[in-house]
Amino acid sequence: MLTLLRDLRRLRHSVALPRPDRGRSLALRHVDAGSCNGCEHELTLASTPYYDLQRFGLGIVASPRHADVLLVTGPVTTRMREPLLTAFQAMPEPRLVAALGDCALGCGVLGVPDALVGPVDTVIPVDLRIPGCPPTPETIATALLALVDRRRSGDWQELASREGDGRD
Amino acid sequence: MAVGPIHAGVIESGHFRFHVVGDRILHLDARLFYKHRGLERAAEGSTLAEGARYVGRACAACAVANGLAYAHACEECLGLEPTSELARARALLLELERIWSHLNDIAAVCAGVGLAAGNNLFAALTERARRLNARITGHRFLFGAVAVGGSSLDLDAQAVGAAREELEAIGREASRGWRELQFSASFQDRLPDIGVVGSEDVERLGTVGPAARAAGVALDVRTISTRLAYDGFECRLPERAAGDVRARLEQRALELEQSLEIARALLDEPVRPAPAAPGAVESPVGVGLVESARGATLCVVERDGDRLRRVRLRTGSYANWPSVAYAATDNLLPDFPLINKSFELCYACADR
Repeated sequence: MLTLLRDLRRLRHSVALPRPDRGRSLALRHVDAGSCNGCEHELTLASTPYYDLQRFGLGIVASPRHADVLLVTGPVTTRMREPLLTAFQAMPEPRLVAALGDCALGCGVLGVPDALVGPVDTVIPVDLRIPGCPPTPETIATALLALVDRRRSGDWQELASREGDGRD
Repeated sequence: MAVGPIHAGVIESGHFRFHVVGDRILHLDARLFYKHRGLERAAEGSTLAEGARYVGRACAACAVANGLAYAHACEECLGLEPTSELARARALLLELERIWSHLNDIAAVCAGVGLAAGNNLFAALTERARRLNARITGHRFLFGAVAVGGSSLDLDAQAVGAAREELEAIGREASRGWRELQFSASFQDRLPDIGVVGSEDVERLGTVGPAARAAGVALDVRTISTRLAYDGFECRLPERAAGDVRARLEQRALELEQSLEIARALLDEPVRPAPAAPGAVESPVGVGLVESARGATLCVVERDGDRLRRVRLRTGSYANWPSVAYAATDNLLPDFPLINKSFELCYACADR
């Protein structure tokens, strides 16, 4: 088993991501609002040896109460509107919302109008858009790392500290 | 105890209601359809060719299986028969999907036990398999690779050679990892005798796919598939077909090996674009049946000229959800994630 682990460590060198010297972290919470499961599969792989997002301080947390960023996938079905709002409202401020994948952005969505609410930004404000059907783990990693940079430069604080702006 | 629709990990949305005494599950009430997008209704009125988009996007993990079931149903309507070249290209796509899917499922069971090394190894292989998909068809999930009335897959001698080599490498790494898993006692201890769906249960519940075969029921659409190139296909069953988590995991490993063999054999010659051949009897209703990584997937198409009047997709996941609820009964709550992962059903496939 240890041999396997050592071999796996080599894989991350085959991907051109910057060195992990960022010094800040982001806790991510994912909500599936009706995706086809593609975005989830790719997001899962962003934490595997090729990309290994944890080394940049990017981890998926179990509850929105521990999260800085809400990653939302899917075209927001009528049945997922309430749970999505509940998760968003449970997050501590400052908080950010990232719409992950074309469905969440409202591009090329398939379905009937009475089963869908509309893109994520019709339900909660979206700060980061990650396009793709589905976005590759590399796209997801790059977009989230840019967000870490914005946080470090103070830009993030400005973005996410809009308290009492009716976002609930 | 209520769980979901939002789960702790990166999982699809669905609500589970556990009736428990202490840690023991008395009954599981799985409430799905949080992800219902109305894809079948949305597809009504579109042309048969356009309909493939709706069915293909129902689920990323079964895009090829669902797409093929739909394409076969439409071709039955239109009186088209697949040529041997088309049957070969499509069987290849289906096996590529099964390969990444089974790798992902083995990784998921390792994650369910908390065995990070196994999870990472098989997840890394899943990534490799998806990169191979992208090289072959231009999409990591093979989206858009299946169309009604033909295939545009075009691989020259060099491309099939490279794909064969990559599949061989994936197979080598997977069997090395699988061997390591056999020697991980803390992993193996968790697997036997939980989440049992026996052969009688399979018949009663209509369980399909690897879950049925892990109970010793040799049920596989590939053995009766006339529209795909599966000549001489035979089911492989595990020696210990007990229908528990361990048997389902072993079944996946067996199928992974077999799928790699089939895919390599299908890649022996260059793959050329091929249309389906006309000549069969046209009909207003068509049925397509395909073995997805989760079991038999059925698609029924009713047409009105060249437009869709109705389409219904019954996926392997949809058929197997009652078996998950049944398997959970009388087990311990902490074992449920493992039982769930051993079936690894798609919510999107069931909710549509």
